[in-house]
Amino acid sequence: MPASMGDPTRLSAAAAGRAIAAGELSPVALTEAYLDRIAALDGELHSYVLVLRDEALAAAGDAEAEIRAGRRRGPLHGVPIGLKDIYWTKGIRTTAGSRVYLDHVPQEDAETWVRLRAAGAILLGKQETHEFAIGGPDFTLPFPPARNPWNTAHYPAGSSSGTAAAVGAHLCAAGMGSDTGGSIRGPAAYCGIVGLKPTYGRVSRRGVFPLSYTLDHCGPLTRTVEDCALMLQVLAGHDPPDPASADVPVPDYAAALSARLDSVRIGVVRHWHERDAVAEFGADSTPTPTYLAAFDTACRTLESLGARIADVTLSPLIDYLDANRVIMLAEAYALHEHDFQERPHLFGRHVFARIGVGAFLSAADYVEAVRQRRELCEEMAGALRDIDVLVCANATGPAPLIDGIGPWGLFERASYTAPCNVTGLPALSVPIGLEDGLPLAFQIAGKPFDEAAVLRVGHAFEQASGFSARQPALAASLPGR
Amino acid sequence: MAEPMAEPLSRERFLFLCQGAGLDPAKIGEERCEELREGTRFLPRLRDSVRRRRAGQPRERAAEPAHIFVHPKG
Repeated sequence: MPASMGDPTRLSAAAAGRAIAAGELSPVALTEAYLDRIAALDGELHSYVLVLRDEALAAAGDAEAEIRAGRRRGPLHGVPIGLKDIYWTKGIRTTAGSRVYLDHVPQEDAETWVRLRAAGAILLGKQETHEFAIGGPDFTLPFPPARNPWNTAHYPAGSSSGTAAAVGAHLCAAGMGSDTGGSIRGPAAYCGIVGLKPTYGRVSRRGVFPLSYTLDHCGPLTRTVEDCALMLQVLAGHDPPDPASADVPVPDYAAALSARLDSVRIGVVRHWHERDAVAEFGADSTPTPTYLAAFDTACRTLESLGARIADVTLSPLIDYLDANRVIMLAEAYALHEHDFQERPHLFGRHVFARIGVGAFLSAADYVEAVRQRRELCEEMAGALRDIDVLVCANATGPAPLIDGIGPWGLFERASYTAPCNVTGLPALSVPIGLEDGLPLAFQIAGKPFDEAAVLRVGHAFEQASGFSARQPALAASLPGR
Repeated sequence: MAEPMAEPLSRERFLFLCQGAGLDPAKIGEERCEELREGTRFLPRLRDSVRRRRAGQPRERAAEPAHIFVHPKG
């Protein structure tokens, strides 16, 4: 490894892959560097629940030998990643963050991990998740909740909290999360990284603990949009045993990335954060002035790259959020009903309260939510007929303190991610600035299976904003090997 | 402006619904039962919201649900 390279954990996954391909970086050295950072920093961050040191080093050694022998598998070969602890890993404990599965050792791998491993990715370990991907930062569980790498007193959001914190703190090059109401894009926003929820059906969910069958999505968390494109390239594609998997052609995502957005038509959904949030959820959901300015600046940046921008009006935000919540709670309760009845004491406080509300929804409530879902899908399809992507807010202020997060924030405050869960559209969270040293972000949503357009817009914006070069103090706090 | 939050279900109504759902308050414990009862204050808004009653009339009878079918080809 040339001394000029410095700390290899500062490289994006794509850059690390290029350095490995050029023979400038050893997968073993890169894996050791990440393991050293985990040992030094994760006692404060709590992003991992299981570190696979020996297994990772062995896999890195195998990767190094294969690449030297001229058998490089692709851009992720030798690149260390992490998995949210709801992804099944054969022979490796997978807990879903719950006492209910504290000793669960799967007999199979998640299909997504099968694909990533076949592409040469190295598994560093399993990463902290909110219990069953919905539970919130619960201090009564066996694993302490992950903390925000920009300020460890603050919340990293969830439920893919450990993965987002680890990617943001450079404790892995990339990771896999899941998103039922925003569990990839919320943590991506608060941790200052990129998170992609692909189209429903684009990426297999087989071998991942479900939360809500018709809303669950699997997707990557990365430090750059290019890394997201590389991960999606490996992940996307039909998986017949997953009943929701779609047999749709997979384009070349990296080839879609460009620095300019000439002729791209972008619709901006302003009323959700400028009006609906406060009107429907109260003053606690007021976007900060810094966020409003950052969002406007981001839209002007897109315009300066050649995009044509126009405001778009959709149904009120709450129509999307509550349809998502009713479906999610009903499906999640059905999934956990037996354990709620027979061994409720095993659930953490947050997850019991949140999912438990689903016990009191009626069949009619669920059917009405699914009827509303169809109307909202048709509305989104209409809005996207004459434009290429939608832009909307993500978390509209800096991450709150982690100690103040209770079980009911899910219902009490506005969130901007669920509209793309209930409609199944692809959506990407990209950082747009900082407030009080904590990241801010917006979302780019696209037509079904057009992740390429979403990634193109995100990449061009990222190149113009330069945010991906910034890193939290925690990430910079140790020298490289 | 935001609609005022509803009250949680009464203790009696909550216990009745728990029984219907097969939930055993003795297994759940007093503290968790009370927290879950507190969460029932969100139910009226969720129910109204998915029926769009705030906007006026309930949706037409012919408005079908979203269908998530993936039919095999051929």
